[in-house]
Amino acid sequence: MSKLALSSLHQALQRSFASVDSSQKLWLGVLADCSPLMVSLGNLAEQAIALNNVQLSNTPLRDFPDLEDRLRFKLLQAIDTVLNRIHEKMSSLQSIRDTVTNQVSAVLRLYQQNAEDLDLHTVTQRSAVTPSVADMLEWLQDAERHYRQQFLKRKTLLHMLKADDLSLLEAAPKTWKSLESPSANEQITDTLCKVSFFMESR
Amino acid sequence: MTSTNRKCSALTGSSRKTKDNAADWFNLMLRWNRLNDEGFNVAANIVNSKRSVYSTEPPLVVTSAGVSDSAPLQDDCRTLQDVVDKMVTIVTKMERLTASQSGVRALDDFRTQGEGHLFHGWSLTLYVSEVATATLLVDFRQELRLKQTILQEVAHTVTSDLGLVLLSGWLHQPFITDRTRLTVEALLMETGLRPL
Repeated sequence: MSKLALSSLHQALQRSFASVDSSQKLWLGVLADCSPLMVSLGNLAEQAIALNNVQLSNTPLRDFPDLEDRLRFKLLQAIDTVLNRIHEKMSSLQSIRDTVTNQVSAVLRLYQQNAEDLDLHTVTQRSAVTPSVADMLEWLQDAERHYRQQFLKRKTLLHMLKADDLSLLEAAPKTWKSLESPSANEQITDTLCKVSFFMESR
Repeated sequence: MTSTNRKCSALTGSSRKTKDNAADWFNLMLRWNRLNDEGFNVAANIVNSKRSVYSTEPPLVVTSAGVSDSAPLQDDCRTLQDVVDKMVTIVTKMERLTASQSGVRALDDFRTQGEGHLFHGWSLTLYVSEVATATLLVDFRQELRLKQTILQEVAHTVTSDLGLVLLSGWLHQPFITDRTRLTVEALLMETGLRPL
C-alpha cells in the first residue's frame, strides 16, 4: 500500500519539477522582456522632468507656444503605452505563478491524502539518485513561495507607478532591478540539479 | 503600395490623380519617419558629445550608433543638416501634392458646373481629400519648422535639460499627432488604397 502511494507521489513530484523547470525558463524570459520596457519608462520620465525644468519661453523654442503641451501629451501617451505593455507582461508572470502554485498544491494534496500510508521512514528515505520526499516537497514549496513573493513585489511596484509621479517613474528601472533575487534563482537552479537524476528515473 | 495598385486599376482623370496623391502622401510620410529616426540618432550624438565636454555625467541617450568621445561634432551637425534638408524636400513635395489636389477639385467643379455630379459621393471625396491634404500640410510644415529650430540649437545647448527637451521634441514629433496619422489612413481608405 505504502509502495503504491509512494510511486504515485513520485510521479506527481516529477510532474511538478518539470513544471517548475519550464516555468523558470518562461519566468526569466518574461523578466528579460520587462527590463528594456522599464528602461524606456525611466527615459520617458527623465524627458518629462527635463521638460518641467526648462522654461521654454526663455529658449528659442518660444516660437512654438503650444509645443510644451503637445510634447507633454506625447510623453504621457508614450508612458501610458509602455505601462500597458508592462502590465501585459505582469499577466504572463501571474499565469506562470498560477501554474506553479497549482502544481505544487496538487502534490501536497496528494501527499496529505496518502499521509497515513507513508511513515516517517518512507518520507525521509533517500538514495543516491532520489532525494527524500520530505526534501522535495520542501523545495517545491520554496520555489512556489519565491514566485508568489516576486510577483507580489513587482505588482506592488507597478501599482505605485502613475504617469504623473515622474520621480518614481524615473527611478523605476532601478527599483525594478533591485527586486531581482539572484539567490532564489540560484536555489531553483540548484534544486533542479538535485532532482535531475530523479526526473530521469521512470 | 503604389506600382501594383497603379497598374491594376483603370481609373482616369480626377480619380486617378486623387488616388495617386493619397499614395504619394503615404510614401512621403514613411520617408519622413525614416528620416526622423536617422536624425534622432545624429542629434543624440551631438547632445551626448556636448554633455561629455561640459561634464562627467553619463550620456543621456545611448543610440545604436554609439557614442565616441572625440566625436567630430562638425560632421554630426552636417549630417543633421542633410537630414533636415531632405525633410524640406519632402515638405515641398507635400506642398505640390496639396496644390495639385485643390487643382483637381477646382477642375472638377468647373467641369460639372450646373450639371450636377455623376455620383453624389464623388465631389465629396474630392473635397475631403483637399481638406485632408491641407491639414496634413499644416502639421508637417510646423514640424519642419521645429526641426529647423532644433537643428540650429542642438549644438549650442548649455544645459542638459534643454538638450534633452530638444531631443525629446525631435523624437516625439509633437506636431505630428494621431490625427495626422488617421488623416492619411482616411485618405487611403477613401481612395480605396486601403481595403475597408
